[in-house]
Amino acid sequence: MMLPVRQAMLIAYSTGILWLQRNPMSLVFTAISPFSLLFVLFVVSGGQYVHLAVAGSLVMALVGYGLALGQDISFYKTEYKIQDIFVASPVSPLTYMMGLALSELLFGLPALTVLAILVVYFGGSLLTIPLLLVTILLLWGSMSAMGFFISSHMLHMRNATQVISFVNVILAVLPPVFYSVSTLPDALRYLSYAVPTTHASIMFQQTMGLATPADWSLGFGFAVQIAYLVGFVALAKTKAIWRET
Amino acid sequence: MLAIQAEHVTKVYKGSPSPALSDISLEVESGQVFTLLGRNGAGKTTFVRMCATQLMPTAGSLSVLGLDVIKHAKQVRDLISVVPQEGRPLRALTPWDHVYNWLRIRGENKERAREKTEAMLKRLELWEARSRPAMNLSGGMKQKVLVAMAMAVDAQMLFLDEPTIGLDPVSRRQVWCAIKDWKAEGRSILLTTHYMDEAEMLSDRLVIIDRGSVVAQGTISDLRKVIPHNTRIDIAKDGLDEETLKSYGAVTDTGVGTLRVFAFESAVRELSELAIRRNLPFTVSPVTLDDVFVYLVGNMEGNES
Repeated sequence: MMLPVRQAMLIAYSTGILWLQRNPMSLVFTAISPFSLLFVLFVVSGGQYVHLAVAGSLVMALVGYGLALGQDISFYKTEYKIQDIFVASPVSPLTYMMGLALSELLFGLPALTVLAILVVYFGGSLLTIPLLLVTILLLWGSMSAMGFFISSHMLHMRNATQVISFVNVILAVLPPVFYSVSTLPDALRYLSYAVPTTHASIMFQQTMGLATPADWSLGFGFAVQIAYLVGFVALAKTKAIWRET
Repeated sequence: MLAIQAEHVTKVYKGSPSPALSDISLEVESGQVFTLLGRNGAGKTTFVRMCATQLMPTAGSLSVLGLDVIKHAKQVRDLISVVPQEGRPLRALTPWDHVYNWLRIRGENKERAREKTEAMLKRLELWEARSRPAMNLSGGMKQKVLVAMAMAVDAQMLFLDEPTIGLDPVSRRQVWCAIKDWKAEGRSILLTTHYMDEAEMLSDRLVIIDRGSVVAQGTISDLRKVIPHNTRIDIAKDGLDEETLKSYGAVTDTGVGTLRVFAFESAVRELSELAIRRNLPFTVSPVTLDDVFVYLVGNMEGNES
């Protein structure tokens, strides 16, 4: 196995699997939160908005687990000084980011699996699974890179937590993630197309058989998501603070 | 080849009115233990972090093992290992997990990583606690886990930023032995410490930094010469007046009920006889590194007493 891949796997194993083996309840606690809004929307709408709620919850979970990487990184940097050890080693910042992102994904696997199964269940076709998985990976990747980039610029863990919570709202609550983009006026709809979570939610909605806006296409959705992924990975690689200035 | 070569290195942190390090120039020979001494905030950690490619210098040139730390940071990182100041092991991971996985991350194969982990944990007396999560280890054991991680690696240069802080005397000696073994293999070490006995025990050369500038450097015997006298006598404060003592040499108050007189051996002998005649308790010893340190940085204007 190539060394950077092995390094990322070992980081994920150390910070994810070993932690979970010794603290299995963490899995339960982190799995519950993505279902909170799904539960509320399901109850309030009497099940009417369940598709939107499932799509929104999956997007919110991916944003949450992706950005949570930033909190972990901030914690390891400021509280444990573990990042100092990694910086002064052959491990690259992207490998470190990838390892911790995989670790976060492990914590999110139960919730993501259940939500993905719900999407396939409501969609009624196994053929939608590849589209679903690609969308999940694109959003998780871009959110992880964003979390890494943001946290690298934070000097204190509290700042990182605050900024990440704010970004979480900007990406997972305000845009049409839990509601249909068609309810927005034109100006806001175009604005929402600049946000990757809008497209991820529409893709999940499409997978479940909901109608998509006339001015939206799958190619457009992918293009925006890929642009965000490439952009944030590039930012993480070139502009994230690894060696302090 | 020099392990470290610093020429006019300066570091100014963003928003800080004064430099953390100012115009530092020093050379560290390969295969030596080089120790940085200084008060809290003197700039020791800043220097270590710049050498270890964790922090960018503001000005000057700095190379480690012949490689520029800015232009060739990646190559430097292949050759070094660090113990950061105030680092902590991850709570859920055991000493074995830390050292073994770190060796694997650094590229060792499984068999070699197992052998080296076992050897290092045994050397630092962590073997019996190898399966205990770090959250259940004492503070000293946690510190030793970080030391074990750094010293298990096949690096050419080791940066130890206060590695023995919080360790009991036995554990400190275990770390000292490991450092000596590391050096015996021809590898280099940059050490910071507040323990003068540690510095005396381990260092080939030392530098004393105060408020970002080098105030003295050399071997231990070079530094001892900073104080013009070679012997000291501590004598009860209420036994002899300070003016009398000053006629023998330089006098300082130890703050614990005694006055310390730095003097030549003949004067110390006279003072000892005087103390015996007056039945005053006293102790005589050669000038220590501790004395040199206090002499150089403890009494400067603006420093805390």
